[in-house]
Amino acid sequence: MKTEWGMEVVAIFGRWNTKLLRQPIFIFFSLINPLVWFLLFTQAFSAIGSLPNFEQLTGTGDYTTFFTAAVIIQTITSSALQAGIGIVNDLDSGFMDKMRVAPINKSAILFGKLFSDAITTIIQVVIILVIGLALNVHVASGIPGVLLILALAAAFGIAWSGLSLFVALTTKSSQTTLSIGLLTTFPLLFLSAAVLPVELLPSWVQSVAVVNPFTYIAQVFQSLIIRGVEWNVIGNAIATILIIGTISLTASVAVFRKKIS
Amino acid sequence: MVNRSVMVAADGIIEVRELRKVFAPDIVAVDGISFQVQNGEIFGFLGPNGAGKSTTIKILTTLLAKTSGSATIDGLDIDKDQKEVRRIIGYSSQEVGVDDDLTGRENLMLQCRFHHMTKERSIEKVQTLLETVKLMEASDRRLSTYSGGMRKRLDLASALVSDPKVLFLDEPTTGLDPQSRQDIWEYVRGLNQKGMTIFLTTQYMEEADRLASRLCIVDQGKIVAEGTPKDLKAKIGADVINLRFKVGDSDACSKAAQVVKGLPGIKEVGLCPGSISAESELTVLAQDGALLVPQMVKAVDAAGVAIERITVSAPTLDEVFLKLTGKTLNTIDRREAVKRLGREGRRQER
Repeated sequence: MKTEWGMEVVAIFGRWNTKLLRQPIFIFFSLINPLVWFLLFTQAFSAIGSLPNFEQLTGTGDYTTFFTAAVIIQTITSSALQAGIGIVNDLDSGFMDKMRVAPINKSAILFGKLFSDAITTIIQVVIILVIGLALNVHVASGIPGVLLILALAAAFGIAWSGLSLFVALTTKSSQTTLSIGLLTTFPLLFLSAAVLPVELLPSWVQSVAVVNPFTYIAQVFQSLIIRGVEWNVIGNAIATILIIGTISLTASVAVFRKKIS
Repeated sequence: MVNRSVMVAADGIIEVRELRKVFAPDIVAVDGISFQVQNGEIFGFLGPNGAGKSTTIKILTTLLAKTSGSATIDGLDIDKDQKEVRRIIGYSSQEVGVDDDLTGRENLMLQCRFHHMTKERSIEKVQTLLETVKLMEASDRRLSTYSGGMRKRLDLASALVSDPKVLFLDEPTTGLDPQSRQDIWEYVRGLNQKGMTIFLTTQYMEEADRLASRLCIVDQGKIVAEGTPKDLKAKIGADVINLRFKVGDSDACSKAAQVVKGLPGIKEVGLCPGSISAESELTVLAQDGALLVPQMVKAVDAAGVAIERITVSAPTLDEVFLKLTGKTLNTIDRREAVKRLGREGRRQER
């Protein structure tokens, strides 16, 4: 049973990876997207780095370094959207029926996709860190820190993709999945510690930011990039990922099972 | 509910009892149907679009939950033994569930993995299947480059990776060109000769006639007749007289129908197509049709209607359908049905 599940996940994981590699446009956007974000925001808002207290609060006076975390989060959430859209495409094309008629575990269909998306996320984050390096962003925590960033990005990617899957399976519309995804991602990003340190946010935004999961994910990336390994920050991020992941994955597996049987 | 424990020694490889499916809020897609499919036969489900064929096949292949009733495949309950049922069935859907980004070979390999086959066995199986459906040359091309017939053949092959006991084909030739249709028929017959039980739905009476050893005629979620194509046609016990009128003469058909109804020996007079139709044709079922022709021509002529052509033939399943439902499965209906197919299939799914 367990080995069958593994085999199914590997097969589905492989399928999505193959599909991904056959879309050169993906590689193009993976490069362009972070570049655009880096250039737009860090050029327009570079003065933020010289705000009073900014360096004291964050550990860096360079806004590009601080903003790298936001670029990583934006990338993770936009590729998480793809998880839901891929599943809707399978529902529409009849491929989903093909998989469901085979004696496979339904959760394998979802996890194969999620793991493939995690690989995508890792590749994209590596690209961001390389671009960052060119912009003089150095990861203070070194190689172990980079590995930790990749692992946390992949884990958060899986957790966040779960939400996209849930919306996709509930609405069965890629348009709706995309709209809901975009409408939630941007406000969440700007109402978190990703763009400014919490202390510098207006007070009502602060109260939103403390319950906003993006804050804890942004803080862990900021911490690893700017200052080094800080276990309490890492602990907060892991807790956030576990909570979101448990809710989103349980919900989407449940919806998937229900719709079918 | 039928007591399952006494049903163990079932004769049929597929046993369906009082199967019913109601889509919210109150669309009755399948209305309490019961039938049995014998091991090793090709069983056809013939009916127009919207008759409940796809819904039935989706329930039997465990893709859709039934509202009530029961069904077993090789003694396995479609609800309680879902996974076991899936191990012994193959399914080829109307939509053709293949991945366009993958090659033919990759699509089949993936199906093998879904059936937990070892790599060695998968490679061997895929090779055999590609040869069977004559896709060897195109095997390493992506499916986005395949024609409709090729996609359908690959889809059929992918339903066969596990050597299923029962193969479900949902409208296997809808939208295909005549040559591809012939190819599919040939494969289906070949599979059946090797002992595979095949359940197929179709809206083509010709397909049901040529392929099915036994069939159900379905209409509006109900089975209206069941038997071998030969028996069903024999039941008509009449010849088919077909009258064709001049193009543009919209009243001709209804006028002629009026007159013909009064003649002796007439069993059934078909409906006239709507006035929009350019060709008007009238189908009449009658005992000893050939003898009746002179009389019919005279009577219709006297009513001032010009007949362009008149033919007498043995009944086909089309007439069986006409007699049972008062409707025809004619070409115009079919063309419309094909256009609606994609959307319809998805609507039912949702």
